[in-house]
Amino acid sequence: MTAASGSALRAPRLELVGGGVERRGRWLLRGVDLVIEPSMLTSVVGPNGAGKSTLLRLLSGTWRLTEGQVLLGGFDLAALPRRQAARRVAYVPQSVRPAFEFTVREFVTLGRYPHESRLFGTRSADRGWIDRCLDDTDVLALADRRVTTLSGGELQRVLMARCLATEAEVLLLDEPTSNLDLAHGLDLLGLARRLVDEGRSVVLVLHDLNAAARFADRVAVLDGGGLVAEGPPSEVLAPELVRHVFRVEAVALPGAASTVFDFEPLARSDLPGSAGRTGPAPGARDRAHRVAREDSSGAASRTR
Amino acid sequence: MTIALGVRRVGFWWYMTAGAALLVTFAAVGLYRGSVPLDPADVIAVLARRLLPGEHGAVDPRVDTIVWSLRAPRVVLAAMVGGCLALAGAQMQGLFRNPLASPGIVGTSTGAAVGAVFALTFGLAGAFLLAAPLLAVGGALVSLLIVTRIATRDGYTPVTTLLLAGVALNALLGAVNSWLIARSWEQYEAARQIAYWMMGGVTDRDWRHVGMLLPGMVVGCVVAAWFARDLDLLLEGEEVAASLGVDIERTKRAVLWSAAILTGSAVAVSGVVGFVGLVVPHLVRLLLGPVHRQLLPAAFLTGAWFVVGADLLARTLAAPREVHLGVVTAFVGAPFFLYLLMRHEKEVAVSR
Repeated sequence: MTAASGSALRAPRLELVGGGVERRGRWLLRGVDLVIEPSMLTSVVGPNGAGKSTLLRLLSGTWRLTEGQVLLGGFDLAALPRRQAARRVAYVPQSVRPAFEFTVREFVTLGRYPHESRLFGTRSADRGWIDRCLDDTDVLALADRRVTTLSGGELQRVLMARCLATEAEVLLLDEPTSNLDLAHGLDLLGLARRLVDEGRSVVLVLHDLNAAARFADRVAVLDGGGLVAEGPPSEVLAPELVRHVFRVEAVALPGAASTVFDFEPLARSDLPGSAGRTGPAPGARDRAHRVAREDSSGAASRTR
Repeated sequence: MTIALGVRRVGFWWYMTAGAALLVTFAAVGLYRGSVPLDPADVIAVLARRLLPGEHGAVDPRVDTIVWSLRAPRVVLAAMVGGCLALAGAQMQGLFRNPLASPGIVGTSTGAAVGAVFALTFGLAGAFLLAAPLLAVGGALVSLLIVTRIATRDGYTPVTTLLLAGVALNALLGAVNSWLIARSWEQYEAARQIAYWMMGGVTDRDWRHVGMLLPGMVVGCVVAAWFARDLDLLLEGEEVAASLGVDIERTKRAVLWSAAILTGSAVAVSGVVGFVGLVVPHLVRLLLGPVHRQLLPAAFLTGAWFVVGADLLARTLAAPREVHLGVVTAFVGAPFFLYLLMRHEKEVAVSR
């Protein structure tokens, strides 16, 4: 898909400066400085509870920061009206089954909200754009199906279509491949890659380090609510870091185009301490903040 | 995965046309039928004289009074009350993402009832015609104010807290109501009025009641229409809605106040008419889908013809005596709701 304007997109720089979130007295994320470089595919990795989802919520502007700032193209995201922000940054939370029986087309059209007029609603230009988004994610044939009847792979592509419908230049996707089989997962990553090649910035939370190494331009590693490392995958994803952060032994397989790891659980004797849970990884060790793991209940998710 | 869930959708404009036809039919029958038999030609003559410009032939003043001053306001009021309740119910179901929400879920209709019962018990209603309706609207708005105050922290109002606070306030206000009714038991007339009012109805209403409901209805409808699209996005959860640019807290407040005004005004003029605000939006959502730009006007229209039809039944079922409107809506609405529920459950089971 070419950009809405027809010319090459140039995504704005998205930046988290000293970002921290406190919920119920616990810091889910603290002291994070991260730049999402324009037109790059950034993968966020880290163990469960590292703060990956929280990071995406902050970058999308749906959660208020307790401290720090999110800058979009140099401007404070929180100061931007919500609709304007939504036109530039799109966010897809970890997939939740939709409860209401929208058709796929209606569901994707929700993504036009930041462009719609209150009086006239969706216009024909919007409808043409929706068709292109449906086509581009290969769900045009599903347009009249109810979203409640979709399979996991179909739903994920429909969510991508809704994300594209916003025409945002920065896409933040929380574990988009978690419910997908291998083929659909690779399809989705290929789509993400293509969107980046067209000029968008895409941030993906991934659990598969090999996929991150293969598809991403940058990798950001989170652990215990802090940013441990950030950079090109070939530099960041070293066996030593993987061992510290993910507590698995990573063996780089020879002969592959990009780094491909084989993972082994650490031997018990290698686990520092007896609880199995390591202290912060190198780099995060000198952080003095008391940082708690992300509250996984999500019930208290507070949106602005 | 090929089995479609729910009833197949109906075209919006087909549905609205059919609804308008039903409304007109029921309204026409409502003007024609009643305790005094009339000639249809006379009814038409009265309407022509009242509504069309220019000179018209003379009409029997007794017929004119029956049609224009007794039956017409009743029909119009029934349509307005039904529309307001169904619209408020649709809004609440959208806001709470729950098809079991009713217009008074945050305590507004019980609050309105307390206001009206207060006016009736202390004889204010007898002294001043507007006392009961005004206190009812006031009761609805004060209830909402209390509930939102309780549920709001740092400018943020979680809907679950709102719901729980509403349930608690409903229980409390219900107790206040019972107490007010119990202490008025010796005053026969007040007790009778309260009992009738609690059953709901549009008997003996005139154009002044229509005038009382009109401002609340207009304000409620305008606000509801303005925030219709935001409700679509809220159905997908607050996080998604916020990420797509919805001002969540502003939408919540607007939707709550508009539903409270609609519910309070309707309860103020007609008493407690049950089940309309629960069943009608649910049915319309099954038929038309959850997009509020269609759902809200369709719910309003459906509520209108439903209550006009129910009122027709209320005065013809046991003629010359009248059954109370709230009794009829519950008698028709509750079994129908159960039917929808059972049917829906079966389809969900099949699709698994």
